Amino acid sequence: MHIAEGFLPVGHAIAWFAVSTPFVVHGARAVMKETRENPESRLLLAAAGAFTFVLSSIKLPSVTGSSSHPTGTGLGAVLFRPPVMAFLSTVVLVFQALLLAHGGLTTLGANVFAMGIAGPWVGYAVWRFSQRLRWHTNVGVFLALTFADLATYLVTSAQLGLAFPDPASGMVGSLAKFASIFAISQVPLALAEGILGVLVFRLLTEVALPQLERLGVVGKREPELVEV
Amino acid sequence: MHGLAIDRIAWSSPWRVRSVRDKAALSLGLLLCAIALPPVPGSVLAAGVGLAVLLGPIGVTLRQLGRIGWMPASSILIGVLTVALSVSAEGELRVQMTEAGLLQAGGLALRAAAATLAMLVLACSTPVVDLFAALHKARVPAALIEIAALTYRFTAGLLDNAGAIHAAQVARLGYVSRPAAMRSASLATGMLFLRSWSRAQRLEDGLAGRGYTDNLRTLDPRRVRSATFLALTWALLASLVGVAVAWEVVR
Repeated sequence: MHIAEGFLPVGHAIAWFAVSTPFVVHGARAVMKETRENPESRLLLAAAGAFTFVLSSIKLPSVTGSSSHPTGTGLGAVLFRPPVMAFLSTVVLVFQALLLAHGGLTTLGANVFAMGIAGPWVGYAVWRFSQRLRWHTNVGVFLALTFADLATYLVTSAQLGLAFPDPASGMVGSLAKFASIFAISQVPLALAEGILGVLVFRLLTEVALPQLERLGVVGKREPELVEV
Repeated sequence: MHGLAIDRIAWSSPWRVRSVRDKAALSLGLLLCAIALPPVPGSVLAAGVGLAVLLGPIGVTLRQLGRIGWMPASSILIGVLTVALSVSAEGELRVQMTEAGLLQAGGLALRAAAATLAMLVLACSTPVVDLFAALHKARVPAALIEIAALTYRFTAGLLDNAGAIHAAQVARLGYVSRPAAMRSASLATGMLFLRSWSRAQRLEDGLAGRGYTDNLRTLDPRRVRSATFLALTWALLASLVGVAVAWEVVR
């Protein structure tokens, strides 16, 4: 769910750019540090960016009868950490604007804040919290992805509510209006993305355990001693 | 999903030979006019110029425009309808359409449509690889551009993979029910993650074998930088601002 090109008033567009820039610069520095220390990781980061972009082609069933697509930022935050996702989300959002006309250049700051900063940080915080409480990995992944998606949708609703206060009920009414209209598709989508994340994570632990260990998502397992 | 239709249009556009500086000045200038000037006449004029440039010199056909325009159009429509509705909860919940809400929604629709057309002026005439070259010239750190460039290169292959996986799953009745659709979507997502990962590792191995230690630089053909084009762009933008200001004064 992105805010369309030209949708925000000039002042709001500039303000959201100003708010998002420090996070993206921090993310870009984290990416540059990572590539300086491990030059081979630039290809993996690029693969992660492409993966996030291509996720928009995966259709998820929705209870409203329509279908939507995962944002991928929750999964990305769990796998690659939120600062990296702030930069990668910016790249992906620019590509989505220029290659798919989805989102926009003037609304980039607002969309980056919702999808590349708020979503990943909320998802990652939930993931860390669940790990600290030693909840089952599946529960942690489900909650992380669901809350990342919900945070993205709520922040987008708040951004639109701030920009277009309702003539009768003001900003609060406008926020409630946008949140309730988008909830029809976004709440089921968040739950679906959570379930999808659990299935994907289980698949990855079966077939891509070395990659997950290398990313530090799961702890390294000691090789089992086999008695001969 | 229409794949990378906009990028395909950009690769074959007659304006591809123009410099990114010239096209960006026109596109971003129109974008600024679309969102900063009053919707009537500012956004209307910006939309008209954007549409004329897209269908004229950039060479986009009406069919192509319809194909690439449905996604932003539906996104704008949902947002505009939400703005048009007014909700009040005094006593009982009331959903209504007020004149102020309709006016705001109409202006918003014009502004968003004009801004989208302005953005398409750049997107439909400039392949993304040309933007990377322009970013190099603007001294953006090479490591960041390279990650963006590699992301773009991986994207094309992965989109083909995603399409092939989806077609195979549909042929195996993978989306006939909700549980089957969730299973198919999760398998597709997992497979795409693994393929993107293995593709990156294979590219890394191949480049390491060729002594790759630095940036992946590609040839950047010379582009036409036209002072006349730039002057006409500034004149056009100035006249849009002038008409908008005159309109307000006359009103």
